[in-house]
Amino acid sequence: MRKYLFIALIGLFQMAVSPDAASAQALTEPGVKITGEVTAAQTIHAADLKQFKQVTVIRKDRDGKDHTYSGVKLFDLLLKAGVTLGKDLRGENLTKFALIEASDGYQVIFTLAELDSEFTDRAIILADRVDNQLLPVADGPFRIIVQDEKKPARCIKQVTAIKIAFAK
Amino acid sequence: MLSSWTDDDEVPKGEYKFVYPAYFGNRIQQAEDNPATNAGVYLGRRLFYEARLSANNSLSCGSCHMQEKAFTDGQKLSRGVDGTFSDRNAMALVNLLWARKLFWDGRSASLEGQASVPMINPHEMGQSLSASAKKLQETSYYPQLFKQVYGDEQVTGKRIVMALAQFERTLISANSRYDRYLESVENVENVKNIENSKRIDKIKSIERVNNGDNVDKIIKNANLSAEEMRGMLLFNTAPDPEKGIRGANCAHCHGGPKNYLELFHNNGLDLRSKDAGIALLTGQKTDHGRFKVPTLRNIELTAPYMHDGRFNTLEEVIEHYSEHMEQPESLSAFLQHESNIKGGTSLKLRSNEKKELIAFLKTLTDSTFIADPRFSNPFLTAKTSTK
Repeated sequence: MRKYLFIALIGLFQMAVSPDAASAQALTEPGVKITGEVTAAQTIHAADLKQFKQVTVIRKDRDGKDHTYSGVKLFDLLLKAGVTLGKDLRGENLTKFALIEASDGYQVIFTLAELDSEFTDRAIILADRVDNQLLPVADGPFRIIVQDEKKPARCIKQVTAIKIAFAK
Repeated sequence: MLSSWTDDDEVPKGEYKFVYPAYFGNRIQQAEDNPATNAGVYLGRRLFYEARLSANNSLSCGSCHMQEKAFTDGQKLSRGVDGTFSDRNAMALVNLLWARKLFWDGRSASLEGQASVPMINPHEMGQSLSASAKKLQETSYYPQLFKQVYGDEQVTGKRIVMALAQFERTLISANSRYDRYLESVENVENVKNIENSKRIDKIKSIERVNNGDNVDKIIKNANLSAEEMRGMLLFNTAPDPEKGIRGANCAHCHGGPKNYLELFHNNGLDLRSKDAGIALLTGQKTDHGRFKVPTLRNIELTAPYMHDGRFNTLEEVIEHYSEHMEQPESLSAFLQHESNIKGGTSLKLRSNEKKELIAFLKTLTDSTFIADPRFSNPFLTAKTSTK
């Protein structure tokens, strides 16, 4: 019954949110939620990236040209959230993956081993700048950049969430 | 009037088996506490067409989701029990078994959560779930049917939405002419690799074959005309005017065998959308005017198009992408500068290419889906009163 009431309340809330209220909608600061198999779930905002080591990756985008992307390693972000990386990435933890989701619903995954600096030198970063400029609106404010990967399909734009999970 | 319930009403037992092609994949969505059963689907179908779930007993789910229109209603916006119109166009109910986010703004994470919203919205069916449960409880038909499904005769709002969700998951459309094409394993691999240049070469070779140079097995399996194949090639190809490659790149958002990728985009309908779309939920300016990219399965049957039903025909839809794209700040990155002319801001297709695209889109029509008796209104042929 509680669940049923909850559903009803959600419905009432949704009815109150009329599309005509568009102009009255308050803007919120974009962020990336880190959840799932973490000890410290958190939301990362633009200012938070400054506390991590800054990394640059040069790679081609769909335009076929090299660009310089700046940001922080996913490895560092996830370590702070308490993800089992580094010395803890062993045993069953090697069956974990990061599901990255964008605001347009697009999703990609990386295994934790792909992100771990003790496994690979390939940098996978959460970038907020390209060629020393903030990312374009349609790409940012946060985009995953995968060093050296031939196709850009996992360089997911407009990232909003990272969920760590076990493969079942 | 016939008796309210008789032993002749055979309610099927057991687990419901979903049947769908392997190329649809198995990323299906069922609530852990609501696995589909044959009895649950049986009940859900009846509830789907049950007008007592509306405030004045005039509307059922099926009123705005008509089978013959691939479960849409043919209206720009739908009239509710209070005579007002819905905010957005009624969405097609097709292949929901694979949908993780429901509604034009993706606000609902399950069919169970979705089903209650139009029922309780005063501008749609306008009745609380508790009122609906009470009405059905007072019939002699439903309590016994709920017992068959849930083990006792109690009608609750939760049980109503669970059964509705079970029925909606069975609405699988996978019997179009395009499916005949996909059934060739080789061709399935081609569609999965839509950006694979080898595939484009392959289709080009099919096109040549279809133009009369040869007749071989591929064409027999594909069973699509040369015009339809050319439309498919355009559908799957990103335009690159510098390399002389023409395309419409529909597949970027509508690709894959289900023609559904569960994406949400601002597709340049307006410079400033009257309906803020997902931004209403997230407060993000990049979500302004962003809506669900719907499946194109049965798209021929689901006019009018877009979240506000502004386009009456597929021709108008193609014209939008080809000629009239606005450039709002939140326009999808994948639609920016997507054009067959250098520096263009819309596709700029040729008239024959527009016709080819539409010819291909019509191969996605599944005539058996809209006539399948498993999905039809049972009360039109019922032997039993539901009083």
